[in-house]
Amino acid sequence: MERKNFIRSLMIGAISTPVIIEACKKSSIMDGTNTSGSGTAGTTASTNGTCTVAPTETEGPFPTKVPASYVRSDITDGRSGYKLTVKITIGNLNNNCAGLAGAIVDIWHCDAEGNYSEYGGTGMQSTNYQSVHFLRGRQTTDANGLVTFTTIFPGWYSGRATHIHVHVYNAAGTSLMVTQIAFPEGAGTSVALVNGYSKGLTGYTYNNADNVFSDDKTGIEIATVSGTLAAGFDLTFKVNVKA
Amino acid sequence: MLKKVITLCYRKIIDAGNTSYWDKFVHEDSFAEFKMQAQFYNQEQQFTTFAEMLLNIPEAEKLHFLVSAAITGYLRQLNGIIPDILDNLGRRFLTFENFKFEIINSDINDPEKHKVAVNFFSKPLIWHSTIDNLLLVSQFKETDEEETFTNLFQLQPFVSIHSIKNMH
Repeated sequence: MERKNFIRSLMIGAISTPVIIEACKKSSIMDGTNTSGSGTAGTTASTNGTCTVAPTETEGPFPTKVPASYVRSDITDGRSGYKLTVKITIGNLNNNCAGLAGAIVDIWHCDAEGNYSEYGGTGMQSTNYQSVHFLRGRQTTDANGLVTFTTIFPGWYSGRATHIHVHVYNAAGTSLMVTQIAFPEGAGTSVALVNGYSKGLTGYTYNNADNVFSDDKTGIEIATVSGTLAAGFDLTFKVNVKA
Repeated sequence: MLKKVITLCYRKIIDAGNTSYWDKFVHEDSFAEFKMQAQFYNQEQQFTTFAEMLLNIPEAEKLHFLVSAAITGYLRQLNGIIPDILDNLGRRFLTFENFKFEIINSDINDPEKHKVAVNFFSKPLIWHSTIDNLLLVSQFKETDEEETFTNLFQLQPFVSIHSIKNMH
């Protein structure tokens, strides 16, 4: 390049710089509402010039869209315990509590030892991806508002009665209700039969001392549970939501 | 001879600007799951950003784990191979079983602000030596073989040695 041309190119650079800054300002003000243009600033740091190799492989594997791993009826994931079938019906309070079809129902509960699936320990700790979300599941209600899960009878942990968490969403994923299912207690009930697995029931918190269930004087939060240790247990529960 | 057994961590950052299908699926699905799960902690919809939720509701920390279920199906589709990271022959060579998903930033009203990271932790590798700016490694095996196939690779941004152990 001739010297004159080189200087000219520098000048063009100097003139265009403020324009670029202005453009950046604009886009940051418009962030999220700007409908023109496409994409956003990427985060991939430049590795150009670092003397690395480019990919030289046959393309693939080709990803396909998959739902969250919560979406399954059997949520056991290899956890041992007495079999429990959970049948939850979602009713619509705005329609005489008739079954609500198409609602999304999440449930989760602890294992026989009283532990939930979660990231353990420090921020450095990693987890195997195969069964990391044990005893957590998601189903969509059928025409009668029913979802069914296969799981194990929950264990217990200090300070809480046996329970299952429930989160109900509408079909669009908007939260309609967060609640918990309590279990019947006393001689012959599932709680007495399972007897807290290997822990026993020493130190167990019963529903009337539980900080979630103790205000439920009429038993509206207590499920119907039948069955035996050998055959497993069946739990039925109704949750009414405004949909 | 002293051998060093290492595991590598590759922190793959994904935001709205990523263009590959895998990255887009992870972005879209983790954002949808974040919006659903965040409602448990943020029942009055008081907060819109993940940062505000963490600041005001410490238990919202669990969202990293809870939202990760949206992406484990995509991890499965990788067939145990860490994406993007190539050896000096231009092939992916790192295998993984362990991961950790992070929400870096998010906003329930704006998918453009949703930014996540998938940390891939490699299976153990033997670090034999360093040649120029390349590490010479091989898959760690319990049994000693006379000849081992090796990979040469260069450490690069977002890749780090996660753990190290001396073996005799």
